Amino acid sequence: MKAKKLFVVMIVLSFLFTACQTSNSPTDSPSGSAGDGVPAVCASDAFGCAVFKKGDVIKIGMGAPMTGGDASYGIDISQGGMIAIQDFGELNGFKFTLVAEDDGGTAEGGAAVANKFASDPAVVAVAGHIYSGATSAAMPVYEKAGIPLLSPSASLPALTTMGSQVFNRIVFTDARQGPPAAEYLFNKLGKRKLAALHDGSDYGKGLAEAVAARFAELGGEVVITEAITKGETDYTPVLSAVAAKGPDALYFGGYTAEGAVIVNQMKQTGLEDIVFFGCDGTYGADFLSRTGANGENAFATIAPIPAESPEKAAFDAAYLEQFGKEAGSLSPYTWNGYDATGALISAVKSVAVLGNDGNLYVPRGALVTAVRTLKDYKGVGGTYSCDATGECNTLPPMFVVVKDGAWVPAE
Amino acid sequence: MNVTSIQKLTRKGARISEILRPLLGAIIVIFLLYRLYDVFIVQQEYGPETWLRLAIAGLVIGSVYALIAIGYTLVYGILFMINFAHGEVMMLGAYSGFFVFEAFKAIKVSTDPLVTFSNAYPVLSVLIAFLVGMSVSALAGFSLERIAYRPLRKAPRLVPLIGAIGASIFLQNAAQLLFSPQLRDVTNPEILARGSGWGIMVNGSRVILPYTGVFTFFLSLILLAGLYLVVQKTRLGRSMRAVALDKKTASLMGIDVDRTISLTFLISGALAGAAGVMWGIHNGLVYYFVGFIPGIKAFTAAVLGGIGNLPGAMLGGLFLGLIESLGPAALGIDFQLKDVIAFVLLIIVLIFRPSGLLGERLAEEKL
Amino acid sequence: MKHNLRQSFNTGLTFGFVHVFLVLIGFNTLIGSLFAKLLGAQVSGSQPPVFTLMIYTALLGIWAGLAASKKAQKKNLAGSLAAGTLAGFIAGLIGFLFSLGLGWFLVNRIDFRQYLAFLSFDFIKATLFNLSPLPGALLSGGIFSAAGALGGLLNGVGHLPVVINRVESFRQFCGRTWQRASAPLHGRHRLLIRIALLAVLAALIILLPLEWGSYWNYVAGTVGLYVILGLGLNIIVGLSGQLVLGYIAFFAIGAYTMALLNAPIPHNLMWGFWPAVVLGVLLAAAAGLLLGLPLMRLRGDYLAIVTLGFGEIIRILLKSDVLTNFTGGPRGIQNISGPVLFGKPFNSDIQFTYLIFIAVVMTAFVYNHLQNSRTGRAWLAIREDETVARATGVNTTRYKLLALALGAAFAGLAGAIYASRNQFTGPEEHSLMASINVISLIIVGGMGNIPGTILGAFALKGLPEILREFANYRLLTFGALLVVMMLSRPNGLIPSKRPRYKIKEEPENTADGTEGEDER
Repeated sequence: MKAKKLFVVMIVLSFLFTACQTSNSPTDSPSGSAGDGVPAVCASDAFGCAVFKKGDVIKIGMGAPMTGGDASYGIDISQGGMIAIQDFGELNGFKFTLVAEDDGGTAEGGAAVANKFASDPAVVAVAGHIYSGATSAAMPVYEKAGIPLLSPSASLPALTTMGSQVFNRIVFTDARQGPPAAEYLFNKLGKRKLAALHDGSDYGKGLAEAVAARFAELGGEVVITEAITKGETDYTPVLSAVAAKGPDALYFGGYTAEGAVIVNQMKQTGLEDIVFFGCDGTYGADFLSRTGANGENAFATIAPIPAESPEKAAFDAAYLEQFGKEAGSLSPYTWNGYDATGALISAVKSVAVLGNDGNLYVPRGALVTAVRTLKDYKGVGGTYSCDATGECNTLPPMFVVVKDGAWVPAE
Repeated sequence: MNVTSIQKLTRKGARISEILRPLLGAIIVIFLLYRLYDVFIVQQEYGPETWLRLAIAGLVIGSVYALIAIGYTLVYGILFMINFAHGEVMMLGAYSGFFVFEAFKAIKVSTDPLVTFSNAYPVLSVLIAFLVGMSVSALAGFSLERIAYRPLRKAPRLVPLIGAIGASIFLQNAAQLLFSPQLRDVTNPEILARGSGWGIMVNGSRVILPYTGVFTFFLSLILLAGLYLVVQKTRLGRSMRAVALDKKTASLMGIDVDRTISLTFLISGALAGAAGVMWGIHNGLVYYFVGFIPGIKAFTAAVLGGIGNLPGAMLGGLFLGLIESLGPAALGIDFQLKDVIAFVLLIIVLIFRPSGLLGERLAEEKL
Repeated sequence: MKHNLRQSFNTGLTFGFVHVFLVLIGFNTLIGSLFAKLLGAQVSGSQPPVFTLMIYTALLGIWAGLAASKKAQKKNLAGSLAAGTLAGFIAGLIGFLFSLGLGWFLVNRIDFRQYLAFLSFDFIKATLFNLSPLPGALLSGGIFSAAGALGGLLNGVGHLPVVINRVESFRQFCGRTWQRASAPLHGRHRLLIRIALLAVLAALIILLPLEWGSYWNYVAGTVGLYVILGLGLNIIVGLSGQLVLGYIAFFAIGAYTMALLNAPIPHNLMWGFWPAVVLGVLLAAAAGLLLGLPLMRLRGDYLAIVTLGFGEIIRILLKSDVLTNFTGGPRGIQNISGPVLFGKPFNSDIQFTYLIFIAVVMTAFVYNHLQNSRTGRAWLAIREDETVARATGVNTTRYKLLALALGAAFAGLAGAIYASRNQFTGPEEHSLMASINVISLIIVGGMGNIPGTILGAFALKGLPEILREFANYRLLTFGALLVVMMLSRPNGLIPSKRPRYKIKEEPENTADGTEGEDER
């Protein structure tokens, strides 16, 4: 009996404790309240304002795989974003910060992180998510909460055709990555029998199917389309079954973790002479170091590496000094991470209002519109303007190939 | 409730299961035959070279499972405890192997960059890797037992199980924090390069018997044989079997139970370490999560072969590997479902033969 | 004396290695920055101020000293002091050598972050208290030794007769106050006081969701759902003793039933929340029955591995490409619509929190009723010894299947509500780790009783949200917590009491009349 009493006391105390906790964090001012100092724009905004008192931090969220096999992408892009915070992250004495949460690159993680961000009033925008699968699951949550997204890397075409008001991206869509890859395979490399593998994710599957479709249109034969299970270390059975069909090229939609394993195991399953064609998910220093000699002549598509400029040089130097690695070595989106975060910060700065009471008010609806109508934002990777559907980048991807253990542009 | 109604109940229950089980068995056999007929006779998608490749892949995967399963089954046979942290002990061994090979990269043997230490002295480097890996894992297993399992020896079954799960989670995350979540690639000496092997020409196509795969297979056989000898022939083995039979009586007979159990965990850890180093050499991928899924699969394999039974672990491992590899192809099912096939197989085996394939125990089973 | 020395030596050794480990995982800087925040100090740069790290080292040393002197045999001041000092010194020695090693890395500018993720130069500098290697290492060793002595001193002081008297009288005072305060609870007005307390609790439950913001509503809702899960698993594992490791599969069935019936993709059926909940519960219960049928003969560990396999089968099937058209595949299912009550849709988290609270109360009520009924006693009998239970006429098969079905039904309920609240569900949410979470929850909280389950759910799901600073170390502490809990309180935080039944007549064998606490 004593334990039960103690337990009740404890529960009551902890409820009280957590209730008191909330008075320390910034609260949403209900739209329509007419407290003095609250700007009028907050009352008329559909989603209300995020209120920041003196000393509060404005949070830009990012959902990315930070642990597990794909961690290098998340870590890399979030680090790019952190440098943007250092460079631009200050407004009228209010500081910005980047909150990078681990979504594992999966749909579940994306939804969980989205719920977390949506219930944190200090998060005004999200530079992400990084993986398309996570983004598509997270979008409905952000839609309801009025939090705009600007993704550096989620390239699934469907994301901008679902009528979302909040999603935007500065990366190319896979519609410009898939079919051109098929054309490259058919025309430039003269392949006629394609095996299309993917890892079952939104992104990988979408890509592989797009490539297969275009390849068939061009007159080639797609001998097999197969899904592999993400996270395994032995794909020899699947590859043997693929080899049985006699393809002369293998397209893989997925990420480096699996791509490297496939490349390494192609030799022993009868696929030695087959060309491996990857995507932007299989690019990076990781791929090179894990495939070694096996990776020679592997293709990939990537966001074009930004042209040299003083800003880029400054960014590269800062990145190397803080994180010990070359920018763009872990993933091709380091610069996009920087630009996306920077663009979001500038959008926040453009709509934020300093109230008479010294608080900073960020009207959420206006922010969503501001990100959607981004015009001529000059970033390291180019100048971005968003169209009505949320596509903000007009640059197409480029093809690269591994030659002598390094990624070089493919002709 | 009088006696006759109990008897009637049990008789009815027994009769139902008498009819039900053979019926279920017949259904399964017919289904399997149908699928096999479909794949082999009707569609004939795969030629003999593919089947050979699949079989080789299955045996290789199976040997990896077998290596891990041997350690699992040893601990279970002696203590009747599922050592959930066994996979993590293997992970520590894998990391040790990785670090050893990385360290070798730093040793300068000649001015030619291609000639690294491990390439120049492959046998020695592999031996050192195994020694270091096995020692680290043995130490880990030993400490695990001392810290987390020994105090819980008298507790009901669920408590050390949760303790093992807790230790497993702790070790995984400790490794993640210490070594970063990055996937690591083990640099093999060149003669053991991954993917290369002996080539066999079958049906016009080159089937490869990978070096690392063969190495894994024979390593597991050797370790199994060695362990079997230790258990059956040596004094330590006799103590182990005695402790497995009846702890109290064994201690009355003058056997140092604590010491025997510690040595059991030491050996089991060493086996896991060997499996880990081998994993690194064969699969090349080492990271903090690497022990979890293979650990579960290996446990499944051990149960399949009859838990507590050493040759059963090897058999179960190979069997599981073959099923995973050949199963989807033979039954015409998608490759993603290979784990489903494996678990369904496990359920079927346990329904019809609840004590596993080989069934026998290390010592008689304690109820 | 020798034994003493060895004990302290071992303690010092342990703490030394623990210190090395904690530094390598960056724990010292985390604690340092926490202190900095608490004390309001300015944090410039990425590392916390040096004095906070010194405080951290000192605290660790004091702990070492306390631990060592507790184990010492000589319980007087001098003995404790000696033990503490020795332990602190040994730990300090290890810390000293370690710091020297770190310093070597720093001096030679070797970037070891490739292998040990935290060793950036800034980090090493901070760990060396911003001094050059030798002084920094000496300082570290010195702080350890001094702190160890302090720890021993503290412990020794606790053994002085003066102090013991004071503590004892204080304890008695507390006991008397507690007696007087809880007297009303045992008195005539006991019922009234009870009702009053319940009313306060109810008021809190009703009012808090309105006050504390959507984040805490979300957390409270998650905790509530896990309570339901815990109760369901308690029926299976705690009451009837069947070790089921794939429990989350039933949760998945409930969640996916709700999802598939209420989302535009893939089926666009839109049956609504309430029918879907009912169907989810029924399907989950049916699954529990079907799973149990072939497994009745299996013994403990085999049952565990088979149910684990079942959980994995469900997850893989849900995730696979083949069944994508039916289950939505790896993308999961999005845009699951919420409940509609009397024509008004739920769209705020407050209403969901209420819904979950109601579900928890209902579940707890059912659980309590079951536990104290004939069924509950049958389960207890089966758990203790199945053979004996069968021999005394309990139809074990029927009761075991009932337990499985009911436990699964609870999970189905939780799953359906969860899917609707998150508007999304996917196959990876229903993995083995989730099952392990639920099992840990009931074991840590206390198996078989309701307060234990609530406490466990709170500890495992609520606390990590409160301690968000420690996000990276969450799982690490979870694993360590499990081990520590098993070592110290295997019966859980609130152990179950074996039900006692009073017999009216004189007991024949007095030895059995007052059996001690449940050994399990």
